[in-house]
Amino acid sequence: MKLAGLKSVENAHDESVWAATWVPATDTRPALLLTGSLDETVKLWRPDELELERTNTGHCLGVVSVAAHPSGVIAASAALDSFVRVFDVDTNATIATLEAPPSEVWQMQFDPKDRLNFGSTYAVCCMLKYETTYKEWKGTTLAVAGGGSASIKLWDTATWKLIASLSIPRPEGPKPSDKANSKKFVLSVAWSPDGRRLACGSMDGTISIFDVARAKFLHHLEGHSMPVRSLVYSPIDARVLFSASDDTHVHMYDAEGKTLVGAMSGHTSWVLSVDASPDGTGIATGSSDKTVRLWDLGMRAAVQTMSNHTDQVWGVSFRPPGGNGVLAGRLASVSDDKSISLYGYS
Amino acid sequence: MACVYIPVQNSEEEVRVALDQLPRDASDILDILKAEQAPLDLWLIIAREYFKQGKIEQFRQILEEGSSPEIDEYYADIRYERIAILNALGAYYTYLGKIETKQREKEEHFILATQYYNKASRIDMHEPSTWVGKGQLLLAKGEVEQASSAFKIVLEADRDNVPALLGQACVEFNRGRFSDSLELYKRALQVYPDCPGAVRIGIGLCRYKLGQFEKARRAFQRALQLDPENVEALVALAIMDLHANEASGIRKGMQKMQRAFEIYPYCAMALNYLANHFFFTGQHFLVEQLTETALAVTNHGPTKSHSYYNLARSYHSKGDYEKSGLYYMASVKEINKPHEFLFPYYGLGQVQLKLGDFRSALTNFEKVLEVYPDNCETLKSLGHIYVQLGQIEKGQEFLKKAAKIDSRDDQAFTDLAELLISSDTSAALEAFKTARTLMKKGGLEVPIEVLNNIGVLHFEKEEFEWAQQVFMEALGDGIWLTLLDNKVNIYAIDASASILQYKDMQLFRRLEEDGHSVELPWNKVTVLFNLARLLEQLNNTEAASILYRLILFKYPDYIDAYLRLAAISKARNNLQLSIELVNEALKVNGKYSNALSMLGDLELKNDDWVKAKETFRAASDATDGKDSYATLSLGNWNYYAALRNEKRAPKLEATHLEKAKELYTRVLIQHTSNLYAANGAGVVLAEKGHFDVSKDIFTQVQEAASGSVFLQMPDVWINLAHVYFAQGNFALAVKMYQNCLRKFHYNTDAQILLYLARTHYEAEQWQDCKKTLLRAIHLAPSNYTLRFDAGVAMQKFSASTLQKTKRTADEVRSTVAELENAVRVFSQLSAGSNLHLHGFDEKKINTHVEYCKHLLEAAKVHREAAEREEQQNRQRQEAARQVALAEEARRKAEEQKKYLLEKRKQEDEQKRVRQLEEHFERVKEQWKSSTSASKRRERTENDEEEGGHSEKRRKKGGKRRRKDKSSRSRYDSHEEADMMDDQEEQEDEDANMNYRETTHQMDDQDDAAGENAQDLLAAAGLEDSDAEDEMAAPSSAAARRRRALSESDDDEQPNPMRDNIDELHDSDGEVRDDNDKPNEDAGFDDD
Repeated sequence: MKLAGLKSVENAHDESVWAATWVPATDTRPALLLTGSLDETVKLWRPDELELERTNTGHCLGVVSVAAHPSGVIAASAALDSFVRVFDVDTNATIATLEAPPSEVWQMQFDPKDRLNFGSTYAVCCMLKYETTYKEWKGTTLAVAGGGSASIKLWDTATWKLIASLSIPRPEGPKPSDKANSKKFVLSVAWSPDGRRLACGSMDGTISIFDVARAKFLHHLEGHSMPVRSLVYSPIDARVLFSASDDTHVHMYDAEGKTLVGAMSGHTSWVLSVDASPDGTGIATGSSDKTVRLWDLGMRAAVQTMSNHTDQVWGVSFRPPGGNGVLAGRLASVSDDKSISLYGYS
Repeated sequence: MACVYIPVQNSEEEVRVALDQLPRDASDILDILKAEQAPLDLWLIIAREYFKQGKIEQFRQILEEGSSPEIDEYYADIRYERIAILNALGAYYTYLGKIETKQREKEEHFILATQYYNKASRIDMHEPSTWVGKGQLLLAKGEVEQASSAFKIVLEADRDNVPALLGQACVEFNRGRFSDSLELYKRALQVYPDCPGAVRIGIGLCRYKLGQFEKARRAFQRALQLDPENVEALVALAIMDLHANEASGIRKGMQKMQRAFEIYPYCAMALNYLANHFFFTGQHFLVEQLTETALAVTNHGPTKSHSYYNLARSYHSKGDYEKSGLYYMASVKEINKPHEFLFPYYGLGQVQLKLGDFRSALTNFEKVLEVYPDNCETLKSLGHIYVQLGQIEKGQEFLKKAAKIDSRDDQAFTDLAELLISSDTSAALEAFKTARTLMKKGGLEVPIEVLNNIGVLHFEKEEFEWAQQVFMEALGDGIWLTLLDNKVNIYAIDASASILQYKDMQLFRRLEEDGHSVELPWNKVTVLFNLARLLEQLNNTEAASILYRLILFKYPDYIDAYLRLAAISKARNNLQLSIELVNEALKVNGKYSNALSMLGDLELKNDDWVKAKETFRAASDATDGKDSYATLSLGNWNYYAALRNEKRAPKLEATHLEKAKELYTRVLIQHTSNLYAANGAGVVLAEKGHFDVSKDIFTQVQEAASGSVFLQMPDVWINLAHVYFAQGNFALAVKMYQNCLRKFHYNTDAQILLYLARTHYEAEQWQDCKKTLLRAIHLAPSNYTLRFDAGVAMQKFSASTLQKTKRTADEVRSTVAELENAVRVFSQLSAGSNLHLHGFDEKKINTHVEYCKHLLEAAKVHREAAEREEQQNRQRQEAARQVALAEEARRKAEEQKKYLLEKRKQEDEQKRVRQLEEHFERVKEQWKSSTSASKRRERTENDEEEGGHSEKRRKKGGKRRRKDKSSRSRYDSHEEADMMDDQEEQEDEDANMNYRETTHQMDDQDDAAGENAQDLLAAAGLEDSDAEDEMAAPSSAAARRRRALSESDDDEQPNPMRDNIDELHDSDGEVRDDNDKPNEDAGFDDD
């Protein structure tokens, strides 16, 4: 398990880069890297040379998160102005603008569940035009971390209507004060790979697990007492959830059994982002301590530390497998230092 | 059988006396001797025989009788025999005196001996044997010089007089002239080859002293051959064997010594050596008996000293320092010059050191050092004493010397290193390392303590990897290896119970159940703790927590481990758990001030003010007010309290500040170099407005704080920045805040970002301010105050842009965008306030929303105006081009006309020319009218500019602005005041909120300042509103005028291109969000 620096783009954005994700490959193009920045733009990059594919404007205030549909056809970006913009990856046409006031928008993720089905159906209809592919991503769901509303907002990707709002139950107390609420501010969200569960992380460090089908809160996962800024499920085990928190730790939970399987320490400052490798054997984290770390889950220890960034690393993302026979693993990291880095993962 | 015959008087008969059958009662013999008037030599023979048989009493009786006055009278002529008897008595008493230990009786014996010799001298002055006897007596009395002269008298008369030769040899020996002594002994032996073994022993001793050990040994052996029971020879040989320093030699030596002891149990030398031997074999009882006997039988100073030394040593090794001290003392007393026998001094020094009498120990060790200036042990001891006496430098000097002299003495290096720890860590580390290498070379096991120290020193020098290696080496094998290997992670912890993860001991029980032995030797606890501390420093907190828990599992009273665990959970913001852990620690020791201080800290964090104060008090009391941390905490508490007061009672504030200052000062008096107290004092001073003084303090603290791992004071950076800010030095303040963020907080502190934003705000760097606030929001999204501030910043930016006299259409467009954002931010906050998501007053936010909307309206007008102006510029260019084109056309037409002129008639030509000119004139007029219009517009703009300037001037200066505002209020003054109140209330709330989260000592000042800033924000914002309204009117009037003008233009000069541009601009307005520039460019291209 190893990371090797491939390419870095200095000044990839005019300001801090705050979000990154991979848009999966389609038959017409390879997977692209999608980044969002404080400079209010969203950019698309073509690996491995990280050539700038396009710059999307249209957001006010900084872009805090980006998400890509598993089909690779559409993507969403969200900014501090609490708008979500859904757009077509290849044409940049705005498909929808979502907002659910007064709730803020923080992290987002598309439901990954029908991704495998999609692969096969897409193969059949790839000769058809845009209309057909459009149909393919109907019916899935976009989950958005709802900030101060202490809930996850679920949007239907066909109608772009708000279909559900999964709220964290209010703490039972004599008088729910204002402060208690701001502590439940939802920052991060993650789908389980089978699409049955949603996890969200809050400012006060609690992680809440929801049953998607019944739109029901299941339980909390405790162990953090500081903001949980990033969550990711293991791609190979739908029970295993990784959380990144300001308390410098990465926790590994059995999300169903409510157990803390392990705690990994090593970062010297906040852990801002976590992503699991497609093979499920490792995770990568980005931290305020300017480093990207690769953790071997077998050893439960950091096996590599990349320190090429000069400021906080806000996002790390593994490239999903697939595309024109591309097998090599890739990891991208983005930072406050305005740069993007690409690593080979093997 | 030897016998003597006493001739019977007046007859031929003789009485035969068998010498071995002498009667027990000497009187019988005496009667015979007297009756028969036996010759005096017979008397002597018989006396000597008694002596030989050990019947001393009889010997004395006969001799005394034989020297009585009657005899003198009777045998007056027989001088030689009389002298011989007297001399024998003298020798006898000399011997008695010599062996007598009691001083007084010794004296008496010597006096008697002297009397006899004197009597003998009176009989014959020149009798050599008398002189020899006198010499011996003097020798015995220790009067060597006089003895020598006595012997010399004899030798001058007869240079081969053996006894005199021997005496003189003895004298020379005592004088230390061993070769002379040897010569004399040799001569005696030549003269009288059959002399007793004693001579050979003398030779042997001389040779020994001269360093000719082999010859000495032969001499002793010869003596022993002559007399197998010669104790001296035996002892001498034994000593030589012992000194040979070989195991076999020592055994042989001891055998000989033993035989000597068996032969004659009162030889002090042999006793001492035997005692010495038994000391080493550890038979202290025997040592005591032997030395006591030795002391009883000898009067010889050095020997006694040796005996005392042996005794002292025995007690010393038994740990009876009092007694051993006394004996060492006695031993030392017997010694004239320290260099004769140094050991007791050393021993005495050691005992005194042990008993804490450093000064006396010092003198003793120094005596040893005089003789052996390079003795390592002594140097080390001296070093220690000097350290104990507080003369660290001198101590170091000695230890360094010791280490230098014996560069293989690990102990010296260890000592030196321990000494250096407090003063020079690098040197200490080097010394420890040398010691370790030496021990390893010597095949010794390196003590855990040394390794621990090496590790800690590496740790302090931030060489963490080395430190870890060393700690692991010190720990060796144990359960911790398993724990550190992460193998324990197989035991999952119930997530709901994981809140207790730092108290969990199940892990170890399970390990025990699984057959691991969970052991932790006591001497490794400290190392393990240090290792855990190191892991913590390396951010491997999980492993560290397991090790701490292991310590607690085995040693539940190890308070520091509790506190570290509490600190870890505090760092992870798990306050509840942290408090529990501290309480565990307090259960072990309720007066442990560190634990109390920590508890107070936690309570403060938990917003439990009253409790926190109590706890800090308790911590302070637990140490009689000597614990500066507790005092400092109390000072901080007062400082917070001063600014916390919701109602802002100035009186209360002043008392709290005063109290805080007093506490800081108290700490500073106790510890003049306490940075935290200095920082606190600086803060109070700054609070009171003494910025210059506080700046000096902060700068000094900052300088002092840089350069240690364990000392990190980001607060002082912030405070310094605050002072710069308060003094209006914004650039420096920004730099300071940024450095602090980067250096200490990994850019993660939203609070500092807020300070930074405020500084940018004051410096009117709106974009920087906004970006900074956005960053802060990104870090702390649930802090709605930041959003509010961001809104205000955008509002302010827009207002200020609109106030600018020269602004491009782009600028105005971005202003509009910014205002839209501000409106959005405020409306979101407004919507949120319905749900009580945050503590803002809805009315106030709505005011902002209204104001921004209002501004937006105005701005849109501005934008239109600006865009129109832009258009007009283009039109003007267009018109100019048209004119140029017309000119060209005219020129061409003229040419054509010339051409035509030739063909047509003069009149016709004239007429056409006039017509053309008329047309041209019209065009020119049209052009002129447009330029005059633009001039007019410029003039109005200048007017505006003037107004703008005055606005700006008014805005300068900090707090004065508020006053200005009240005097200036002519527009909506009533409403404005209301809004101000709202705002202030709001700020108070904000301040409190911030304040609770606050960790920096100065935060409150910040809140105060921040509040100011926000007050200003509000004030400025509202101010702007009048300003803007003021502005909006004339500018819109101007716009109207312009519109009118352009309309007239349109009429007179229809331009197809212009419409096109207009259209483009309209579409810009609609899709402006998407593509602004490209369209514009397209417009130009079309042109």
